[in-house]
Formats: sequence, C-alpha cells, structure tokens
Amino acid sequence: MVQVGRAQGAWAALAGERGRSAFLEEAAQRLGASLHHGRTARTLVEIATPKLADVSVVVLPASGRRTDWYRAGPGDARSSGEVAVELLEEVPEVANALYGLQPRPGVVSAEQLDALDGLLPAELVQGGEPLVAQLAAGGVPAGVLIMLRGPERDRFDDADIELAHRFAVRAGLALATAALYSQQAHTIAVLQDSMAPEPLPSADGLRLGAAYRPAAEALHISGDFYHVAPSPEGGVTFFFGDVSGKGAEAAVLAGHLRQSMRTLAMVAKGSEPLRDLRLLNDLVLSDGHRFATLVTGSACPRDDGSVKVEIAGGGHLSPLALRGDGRVEEIPCEGTLVGAVPDPSFGRTECLLAPGELILFYSDGVTEARGGASGWEIYGDERLVDALASCTDMPAASVAERLELLTTEWLAGRPHDDISLLTLQAPPRRGGEVPPRLPAAAGRCPLGPGAA
Amino acid sequence: MSDTRITEAARASFDACLAAADEDAAIELAVGLVARGVSAQDVLLHLVAPAQVRVGERWESGEWTVAQEHAATHVSRRTVDEVASAARGTARPPAGGAGARGRVLVACSDGEWHVLPARILTEVLRLHGFDVRSLGGSVSPQGMLSDVHQNGPDVVALSCTLPWNLPLAYRQIEICRWAGVPVIAGGPGFGPAGTWAYALGADLYAADARGAAEALLQRWPPVLRGESSVQADAVEAYATLVRQRPGLLEHLASALRDVCPDLRGRSGTEQEEGTGFLGRLLDSLAAAVFVDDEGVFTRHLAFVRTYLAARSADSRCLLALVDALTDRLHGSPRALDKLAGGRRFLVGQEDDSGRPG
Repeated sequence: MVQVGRAQGAWAALAGERGRSAFLEEAAQRLGASLHHGRTARTLVEIATPKLADVSVVVLPASGRRTDWYRAGPGDARSSGEVAVELLEEVPEVANALYGLQPRPGVVSAEQLDALDGLLPAELVQGGEPLVAQLAAGGVPAGVLIMLRGPERDRFDDADIELAHRFAVRAGLALATAALYSQQAHTIAVLQDSMAPEPLPSADGLRLGAAYRPAAEALHISGDFYHVAPSPEGGVTFFFGDVSGKGAEAAVLAGHLRQSMRTLAMVAKGSEPLRDLRLLNDLVLSDGHRFATLVTGSACPRDDGSVKVEIAGGGHLSPLALRGDGRVEEIPCEGTLVGAVPDPSFGRTECLLAPGELILFYSDGVTEARGGASGWEIYGDERLVDALASCTDMPAASVAERLELLTTEWLAGRPHDDISLLTLQAPPRRGGEVPPRLPAAAGRCPLGPGAA
Repeated sequence: MSDTRITEAARASFDACLAAADEDAAIELAVGLVARGVSAQDVLLHLVAPAQVRVGERWESGEWTVAQEHAATHVSRRTVDEVASAARGTARPPAGGAGARGRVLVACSDGEWHVLPARILTEVLRLHGFDVRSLGGSVSPQGMLSDVHQNGPDVVALSCTLPWNLPLAYRQIEICRWAGVPVIAGGPGFGPAGTWAYALGADLYAADARGAAEALLQRWPPVLRGESSVQADAVEAYATLVRQRPGLLEHLASALRDVCPDLRGRSGTEQEEGTGFLGRLLDSLAAAVFVDDEGVFTRHLAFVRTYLAARSADSRCLLALVDALTDRLHGSPRALDKLAGGRRFLVGQEDDSGRPG
C-alpha cells in the first residue's frame, strides 16, 4: 500500500512538474512575441489567469506620479487604468517590488490591499491571501504582478509561489524588452512623422493626388520626397524628388532637402526654381556621397479653367501629361542630377493643362518595379504610359491610387524601391460640357425632395 | 429600412451624383442630411455604402468603365471624409487617449485595394468613441507588424473584399495573434457568415461596419479566442501553386488563345484586364486550396461568368481554362479537388442556362 502510494505521489509530482514546464514554455513564447509595452502587460495578466490566480494585476514602473495597470479576471473580464504612485507605496511589498527590492514573491494580507481599491475592487479581494511578485530584468524594475485567488480555491502554497517566481522572471524580461522597444519605437515614430510627406492641401481650381510606398515598408521612411503648398498668388507650388539609395540614410538627406526647399520658399519673394536648384546642388555636394533628382515648380489655375504648370528639373524623370483625348505625352525637362557636379545645368519648361488634363510626377521605383509573370520583368515606361492612358476621366487622387495599385500588383509582394507618385489636374468642365463617356444625365444633381 | 430617414429619392440623387462624378453635389447632399439631423452613421451605412455597392455592380455588368468606377469611388470616399468631419463638428466623441473607449487599428488585407469599406468602418467606430488608426489599402505584413508593435491596438479590424487575398490575410492575422492582438475580420472576402475568417483564425467576424461596432461594444476588450484550421498540407499545396504560377499563367494564356481568340484580340486596357483575369483565376484557385474550400474558387468563377457575359465574351471558355489547369496540376490532389468542384459548378450552370445565347 505504501509502495503504491509513493509511486502515485511520484507520478503526480512528475505530472505537476510537466504541467508547470509547459505553462512556463507557453508563457515565454507568448510574451516574447509581443513588443508593445501595454500589450505585453495585458498578455502577461492573461497568461497568469487562471493558471496562477483568478485575478491578476500588473502595475508598470512609475515614470511620474501616476502609473498604468492592467487586470485580467475573474473569467474573461479585462480592465486597465491609472493609479497614483503614493497609493502603491502604502503597501510595503508592492513598493519594494515596484523598486526592484522584492526578489521573491511575498504573500500579503487582503486588508493591506485596501488602499488599492481602484485596481483591485474589494469584492475581488474577498479575504484571500494575495501574492505580490516583482517583475524585473537584470536588476532593472519592470513592474509588479499582484495575484488573487477566490475563496473556493486553495491558497498559494510553496510550489505555487515557486511557479509564480519562475513566471515572474520570464515576464519581467519580456516587459523590460517591450518597454525599451516602445521607447525606441516612439522616437522612430516622431522621426518618421517628420520625414513623411504632409497631406496634400486643397486648392481652388486644381485637383491633387499622391501615393507613397517606401521600400522599407516596416519603417515607412524613404528617399523619395514631395511637398505641395498653396501659393499666395493662387494655385500651388510643389517639389518632387528622389535621393539615391534607400532606407534611413537616403531618408535623412531627403528630409534635409525637404526642409531646405521649404525654407527657400519662405525667404524667397516669388519663385525662382533655378536658383533654388543651384542652392540645393551646393547643399547636397557638401553633404557627401549621395545625390538627388528633383523637380520643382508651380501650378496655377487660369480663368478659363486650364492650369499652367511651370517646372524646373535636375535629373529627374520627365513628367507625363495625360491629355483630354487619352494621349500620354512626355514633358521633357532635362537637367543634371542635384549634387553630382559643382557646376550643374538645370532644365526649365512649362505646359498647359486643359480642363480634365493631368500631369504625373513619379519616382523610378514605379518604372523599375520588378515583377510580372516571370517575377523579374521591369514594369517599364511603356506599361506606365498605358496605365496612365487608362486613367482618362479619373480624378487626380484616383489616378495616383490606380497607378500605385497597378505597380504593386505587378510586384505581387516582391521587394521594391521607394515608390512615389504625384498628380496635378485641371478639374474637368461641368454643366454644359459633359465629359465624354459619362452618362448624359450627368451634371449637378438635384437634391431629392425626400432629402429635406 | 425604418430606422433611417434616408429616402429613396435621396438615394437616387446620390447615385446620380456618383454617375456624374459630381463631388461637390454629393458632399452637399450627404452633409445636408447630417445637418438636418440624420445620424452620420446612417448616412455612411444607408446612403454611401449601398450606393458604392451599386457602383461595383455597374462596373461588373459592363455598364460602367473602370474610369467611371474609380471616379465614382473617389466621390464616395470624399463624401465619407466630409460626413465624418461634419459629424465631428456637431458632436465631439472622446478624442484619443485615456478618454477613448479603446484603440482599434483598421487595415485592408495585403493586396486589397477596396478601401472604402475600411474608411466607413473607421468613421463608424470613431462615431462610437473608439480611437481608430487607419492604415489604408493593401497593408504589407511588415507594415502591419511594425504598426501593431509600435501602437499596441486593443484589436485589429481587417477588411477583405476579394477572397483571393485570403492567404495574404492569413499572414496578417498570424502577425496579430503572435503579437497578442485579437482580430475582427470583415468584408465579403471572408465568405458567407465569415466562414473563411474563422478558418484563418480570426477572433470575431462582422458582416458590416455596424455589426463590427456592435460586436466590439458588446464585449470590450475583445480577447484572443480564434483558432486557425489551415492545414500544413494545404499551405504546402498552396506554396507549390504560387511557385508554379509563371508557368501556369503561360499555359493558361496559350489555352485562351486556342479556345477563345476573341478575348485576346482586343487592345489596350481590355487586353490587360484580360491577362489580369488569368492571374486572378489562379490566385482564386490557390486561395481555395489554402482554406480548403472549393467555394472560394466557384464564387470567383461565378463572378467571371457575369463579367465576361456582360462584355459579350464567351464565358464557356472558362470551362476550357479549368480543364487546362486540370491537365497541368495532376500532381496536386488538393488543387484537382477544387478544380473538379469548379468544373461541376460551371457544367451545372450551363445546364441551368442551357439556352443558346
């Protein structure tokens, strides 16, 4: 009998240990997959409940007078909020854990947690003996885990406390990593925002569209850049360019150029695109090994509904005009690269867009996209011209989007260079002259009587 | 519907605005309704959304060109923007941060360019007080990964209109699940009642924006509960199809030349649409293999039939294409299974409409 009992006990212990190992392994896997600080905290309490406790709360380290907490349990209930640090400090075990001075989980009395009513409502505490564990990584505090068990469940015994400890070690590491990542991600997000193109303005007598798809899709930064600003004289001024290379290095120079162009626009009286290009040339030359291509110019609506576009270019792909009859026309704008030679020559040209007509600026990421049936074919000028021709009668924003769509479909998920597109359009005429191919019933639509 | 004050006449007017691509008039009409007290949600869900469905139908039936469809869609999108900003002007929902109900990331599945449903969802959720971040059309897995980790949403709302994007949507759902973020899926791409959304491991499914808002409000925050039923064998068979894609496309193109020369003889965009349609056919087969449901394939065949018939192209060539694929895919029982389903569907259809025409 004793023999059998012993064997059963050993089996039970083995099964228990296996269960605990499996739990810890799953916990490490799930925690390791999350890099967002708050999300990791939430995952942490979800894993701890109900395996370790019926209700679990994690409190994050304080950076000011208040700090965040996340709770899971009982059951599927989830909650989160903020708590004052001074309330946490009223419970010695919690305060110690918060500052990394509680190496082993400690049991506290339910009454001690009265001060923390905000994150642990009294009806959840109900006389049990809560367990408080420190979360830390390499001595750096990462938070506190407070675990509660309901009255119908056994209190925390030594084996439970040992398991909670082993879990807290893993959880602390994940939480500290996520905290670090979140801080860095925030820094990057701020930089990204400063580098990303600003939303297009709205301008009377002009329609605008753009698409922007960086090669580094995860980072969303790019060596392509564009900017469109309303002009005091009516219409807009704009620039569109591409720094050689891609990734962070190209994006930094693109950011410089963008800022410089905007500064030039502020100090200059009237637009002098050739002077701007020469100044930028000096700037990029002094910056180092890279160079850029750039088109700068203005688009001005005229009384007859047409739009006059003036551009000056340095080494950029010539823009394409989509004419009213569906023809696509290259608007040649030659010029040397910006930042390649000390004495550059830049091109200058202008074109007139009749109502409904559109001009497209694009970066070489569009035409050099490799894909198609073979996966290696270049998208090429001809396809772009055909694609643009298929956009007759579309508004500028839809044209940019459709061209982006066709290019990404061509790529079918393969890696690509930075892709940017900018479209400027003279709005089509309304009223008497209905654009061709639209139904004859077009024109201003009456407000239905039922709309009132 | 009785719960809205949007009349048939208003709908007809809005349709006319889309047909004329008249942005100003469309916005005037929609924002006017909001100003007269119709809720912005009703305007989005009962005026703009159904009008956009008709836009799709008019393109599918050949009544409209791609250009008209795009122009109309653009007007719808601008209308959504303006209705949303008008609604924010009248009643301000809690802004982002602590006061908001919770954080939702709205994204279109990879390869999905139908952004209007996601735009409407974004605004409807904002009207309900959610703090919403919207990533727009065709979100790459990398973009999704970094956004989920950077911004830590409580839930990701994934929109998919076209079922051939399902394998790509699966990757996005997996990314979210690994990051511990639940996914609510929506859109016709996920199949009837969201069958394929659940197969891919989504935690929730909603048929439309209102359903999504209600599902999220009812149980907040959502929890991970989904479990993918995608089988390793199916993924392998799918991967094989993707690898063989260039060769299969060539094979299909030559089959098409032999059987239906009329589909190839056209010029410009129509030809591009013609060759694009072979790619879609393959992608739909691959997606059907991936989720192990021939419905993905037959649904696409049904769409292509309508599309071709509307353009007076002989849709019987579809059967020839299915047979051409069957010839080439002898080594893949999973693909053959779906092709057989497709064939049954097409033959059945022909029996149904066996009239000469």
